[in-house]
Formats: sequence, structure tokens, C-alpha cells
Amino acid sequence: MRRMTIALVAFGVLLWLAGPVRSPADGRLFANGHLGVVPVPVDNPMDAAKVELGKQLYFDKRLSKDGTVSCATCHRPDHGWADSTPVSAGIGNQKGGRNAPTVLNSAYWPLQFWDGRARSLEEQALGPIQNPVEMGMTMVEALGRIQTIPGYVEQFQRIFGTGPTEEGIAKAIAAFERTVISTNAPYDRYLRGERSAMSAAAVRGMNLFNGKAHCTPCHSGPNFTDGQFHNLGVGYANGKFADEGRYAVTKDPKDLGAFKTPGLRSVAENPPYLHDGSEKTLADVVEFYNRGGVPNPNLDPLIVPLHLTAREKADLVAFLEALTGEPVKVAEPKLPPSNP
Amino acid sequence: MRGHAKTLIVVATVGALAGLAPSSRAVPVFARKYGFNCTMCHSSYPRLNDFGQRFRRNGYRIPGRESVEKMVYEAQAPFAMRTSAGYNSETYRNLPDATDVSQFQLNGLDVLSAGLLGPNAGYFAVYTPEIKGARGVAPQTGMLESANVILTAKNTTWFTARIGRFEPAYAAFSVKRSLTVAPYEVYDFSSPNGVPFSDTQTGIEIAGWGRNGYRYAAGVVNGSGSNNDSDAPLDFYARGEKVFGSGEGQTAGQRLGFTVYRGIARPGPGMTRKSFTRLGVDTSLNLGAWSLGAQFLHGEDHKDLWAADRTVTFDGGFAELLYQPTTHIVGFARYDWVSTPADLRAGVSRWTVGSRYYLEDSVAIHLEYSARSQSPVSSGMGHATERLFTLRMDFGF
Repeated sequence: MRRMTIALVAFGVLLWLAGPVRSPADGRLFANGHLGVVPVPVDNPMDAAKVELGKQLYFDKRLSKDGTVSCATCHRPDHGWADSTPVSAGIGNQKGGRNAPTVLNSAYWPLQFWDGRARSLEEQALGPIQNPVEMGMTMVEALGRIQTIPGYVEQFQRIFGTGPTEEGIAKAIAAFERTVISTNAPYDRYLRGERSAMSAAAVRGMNLFNGKAHCTPCHSGPNFTDGQFHNLGVGYANGKFADEGRYAVTKDPKDLGAFKTPGLRSVAENPPYLHDGSEKTLADVVEFYNRGGVPNPNLDPLIVPLHLTAREKADLVAFLEALTGEPVKVAEPKLPPSNP
Repeated sequence: MRGHAKTLIVVATVGALAGLAPSSRAVPVFARKYGFNCTMCHSSYPRLNDFGQRFRRNGYRIPGRESVEKMVYEAQAPFAMRTSAGYNSETYRNLPDATDVSQFQLNGLDVLSAGLLGPNAGYFAVYTPEIKGARGVAPQTGMLESANVILTAKNTTWFTARIGRFEPAYAAFSVKRSLTVAPYEVYDFSSPNGVPFSDTQTGIEIAGWGRNGYRYAAGVVNGSGSNNDSDAPLDFYARGEKVFGSGEGQTAGQRLGFTVYRGIARPGPGMTRKSFTRLGVDTSLNLGAWSLGAQFLHGEDHKDLWAADRTVTFDGGFAELLYQPTTHIVGFARYDWVSTPADLRAGVSRWTVGSRYYLEDSVAIHLEYSARSQSPVSSGMGHATERLFTLRMDFGF
């Protein structure tokens, strides 16, 4: 009895030293927390003029071969900064191979594109311009076009001290994209102590998200992504992957069929989901995970069937909807006219 | 009266400690580290789900997240405690040495510590402090129940090594994480100085798994406590599994397994060691909220271990059905049996039914009834019976 009492007291001291138990009811999911300051590379500091230039370039269809496609065509501000179709239509109505990922909070991602082939927003920004099925230009062609637009020439000169350059285009678009941030969602307000910010269903969903539904090991951190690549089996059939995913970049067999974990901020605003846009709604995505993805030899070990009940699935969707931040209000800018 | 006072002090102390974590949905050791809910790894605490099983065998690291894991010296103090308290009733018939029990009781105490010592080295330890029995407090033998290090390879899942005292893989269904108070009879069944499968063991176990659903484990352990300290460890075992479908056969996937155990024990002090063998097959079938687990075990013991005139063989096993419609409630029913030669007077059958309702992920109200019947312990007596009823709070913090 005496030893037991000593043990209990000793254990109490240990608990006290350990600090308070993390309670998922407080919303701290896998070291989660509030979004920090947007990371900005030292060689591309933010300023209003650069952001404005980037916004104009983002919306300018003249950066595409036939003048029909801009960044905003597929990364639509009115659709959660993504596209409403499984894969987007580029120049000549050509179809891309993957669902357009949202631009929202992409500033926080360490790697860009579903396969992570771009190491920065600057590197990413030039990709679609040169993609033959998206905007179909060479950078020489794109620069040639911009150099004929006096309004752009003037802005580049003022901001970068030179005429339009490949680097300047990338930096300007990236700077604008760093302003497209989803924040102050009901979830954030709940974290700050506003307990009425989330419904009871959303709170239950949050606990499932961090428990039985096994979401947090990948959708972790304040932006709800680990920035890593996981194989869910999407597009796997007849022993083959329709898309090699991260493997195309690394050539590591472990990456075959693996894609980047998308962030979940404002995820309710940008269906359809998964890298091929094969799931139309959040409920569909939850059901996909509930089944345990698509079995394949490279299936991520984190993916297992979940046995969620109908109510649990609905609760998860309620929580995902509670990640919807305040609208990012960006009006379509007035573009500088072409050479008159 | 003094006994009652002690009980109250203990219960109050445990309650006060529990009060430090009023919303402790998290399992203490690992969930505190990650900020996870218990249900991340447990279908119904303490039973592991498939994710938890993978986490455990991966050396207490999240599969695929090894590079971002925190070590014990970077995370919060990796300590936790588990106990249960409630009403126990035990009624015996035709068991001369058994005494009926009817009381509120604190049922033991486990102190756990676990975590990562390095990128490829995890550890798990359970200490059960010695508790002197009293009315209201179940006695407990003080021991280091588990203390092991698990080493994982960097580039393959086919080799891990667990070293120290651990729960060996030969028990296909974890005794330590069973939902029931009633024991798995066949795991507890052994010759008088033999080694029950329900015990933890000291030794080395290697294990591995692949994406094709195959798993293996093999080990060498000290074996029976009847062996002398100078006796070389000569208990060997091997286990193989195949899981069909996604999962680990815990709550998803269908698992088939087999176990082979060859051990040596001394019939008594100063006597020479004799061998015994266990051969087992098992399965775990899962469909939605239902899980059916079954174990069959065949035993063959040298006659001297039982002071018999011939080799003793026995068969036993159990079938366990679980139903968990939500994370808050799980029901269970199990039938255990052990068949032995009649003259051994050790055949057993047991029915167990019950449920657990989770107020929080790691706080369960446990209700269980179990009826056990054993062959008459001597001629002229009826079957020895035991009736167990318990209603208790089971919690970890």
C-alpha cells in the first residue's frame, strides 16, 4: 500500500512535469495550430506594385498561345482557386492530365504541383505557360508578347529595373499568389476559444479527423498537409497506374502512384477532388478513404479501411466545411492594353 | 474500517490524477506525443486497430513519417498509467482453495513508458508495482512486465528486432490488449511449471512484413521460470501470417496465421528439463462493425511435466466475436475451451459476454459476465465452476 501510494505520487509529479495533456477537443491536431506568416523568399520580397503586376499576369490570357487561357482560367477565384472540372481544358480545348490544384495557401507548400516537381511558386509559375496542353507558349514567345505591351514594360522597369524577363514574370505571379491565403475559418475561431464557431457535428468530425478516420498523419499542421507524397491507389487498374505521380520526378519505385497531400483550407470550395478529380464531393472523398483507397502494391501504409458510420462520415464533412476561410476578394484587374 | 480508508485514499488519489486530464481523449504515451485521439490507434482501447498495429510493429513510428518523428528527449515525458476500479463478484463451486469475492475493488496498476530512442530504435516498458491485497484493493505482484527495445532497419520492413522483455508474437491475440477481464484459457494453460502463453517473455524476437500481406516473427526466449539461471535459453518459436485485403486483420482485412513453439521446462527443482510443443492456427475475420477471431492450439508435453505415465496432449482454443457499431461502444462474446485427457482433470470451458462503453476514448465503463467450468478436481466432486461479474471503470491517463 505504501509503495503504491509512493508510486501514485511519483507519477503525479511526472504528469505535472509533462505538462497538460493535449486535448483534441482544443483542436490541436498533430502539432497543428494557426497559420504563420506567409513564407517569402529573400530574393523576391513582397511589395504592392509587384503583387499588382502578378495579378495582371495571372489573369492575362495573352500569355497563352491562342489568347484563350490564363492562370485564372483553371485556378478560378470563384471556385476556390481551382477548377470545377476533373481536368482542365487548355488551348484548343485540350485536356490536361490532372485536376488543377488550388492556389489557396500554396504559398505554404514546400513543393508545387501534384508531383512536387517545382521547388517554389516562382518555378511553378512558368510551368503552365510552357505546357503544350495548357497555355502552349515558349518563354521566348511569352516574353515577346509582353514586351509589346507598354503597360507591362513600364511596370517591369519600375519594379525590377529591367524590361520583362522570365524571372520577373515568375516573381510577380508568385508574389500575387502569396496573397491568396485562406484564413479565419470557423476552425480558426474555434481554436481561439469561440466554441460556437463550429457545429457539434464539426467538433465530432474534428475528433474523427484526428482519430478513427486517420486523417492527421498526412493532413497535419496548420495548412492540413504534411507536404509529402502518398499513394492512395487513385487511377490504379489492371496492374498499372494511369499516372506515375511523384515517381516521374524521383524515379524512386516507392513513389510510384504517389501524389502530394493537398492542403485542406477551404477545401469545400474547390471540388472535384484527388489528383485526377475523380471524386465529385467531399462526401465522395470520405467514402473513398473509408473503403481504404484502391489496393495496389504501393499503397501507403497509412491507408486502411475505416468502417465509418453514416453519421461519422457526415461529421467529417462538417469538419472539412468548417475549414472554409473568409473569401479572398480579388477583383479581375484592368489589364494593360496591347500595343495600340 | 482502516481498509476502507486506504481504499478511499487510493481511489481519491487516482481520481485526482485523472482530474489532471479532464478531457484526455488521447492515449497517454503516444497520443500525448502526437496530439492524436486514442482512436487513431485503438478501435476500442486497449485493442489496436490496423493503423495501431502498423505503428507498433514499425517501432512506434508512424509509417511513412519516420523522418519527422520526435525522440523521447524532444517530446513530452513519455509516461502513462492504466488502472480500473469498480465492483467485482467472483463465485466459486467445488474449488476448495477459492474464496468468493463481492466488493468494490481497485484492480491493479500499470505504469507505462514508451517512445523513440533514436530514428530506428523505439522502446516500450510496463511496470506493475507490487500491491498488497486488502479489501477493496486487488493484490498485484511487482514486476517489470515489459521492457524492450525495438530496432528497425532503414531500408526494409522485412527485419525488425525486439530485445528485452516483451509480449511475444506467438500469441496471435494480444493478452495485454484484450477487451475482456476473463483470460484466454488456452493461453493460460500449461504444465505446472510450464510457461503460459499469456506471459511476457525475455529474449529476442525478429519480425518482418511486406506489402504482399505476408508477415513473420521468430524468437528465442528464456521460457519457463522453472529453468535454472544457468540453463541456456532453448525456447524457440516461429509465427507466420497472411493478410488478405487491406488492413492487418485487426478491424480490416482477413488474417490467417500459424504458430510453432518448442520449449523446455523443469518438472521440479533439481529435475532434468523436458520438452513441450505448441502448434497453433488462428484467424481474424472482419466485416464492417463485426470481427471474429478464432484460435486453435494443440499442445504436447513430456509426461514428466505433468507427472503422468505418458505424453500429455491437449487441444484448446477460443472463438471471439466483437461488434463495434461506433467508437463509443463495443460488445464482445467469447467461448474458450481446453480439452485434456480425463485423468488430468484440467479440461476447461468458459463463456464470456460483455460490453464496454467509452465515455472518452480512454475511459471505459466495462461490463462483463463470465462462466467457467472445469473438470472435477477430484473424484466424487462435481465440475468446478467460477462465475465472474464485473462492472468497472477502466481508464488510462
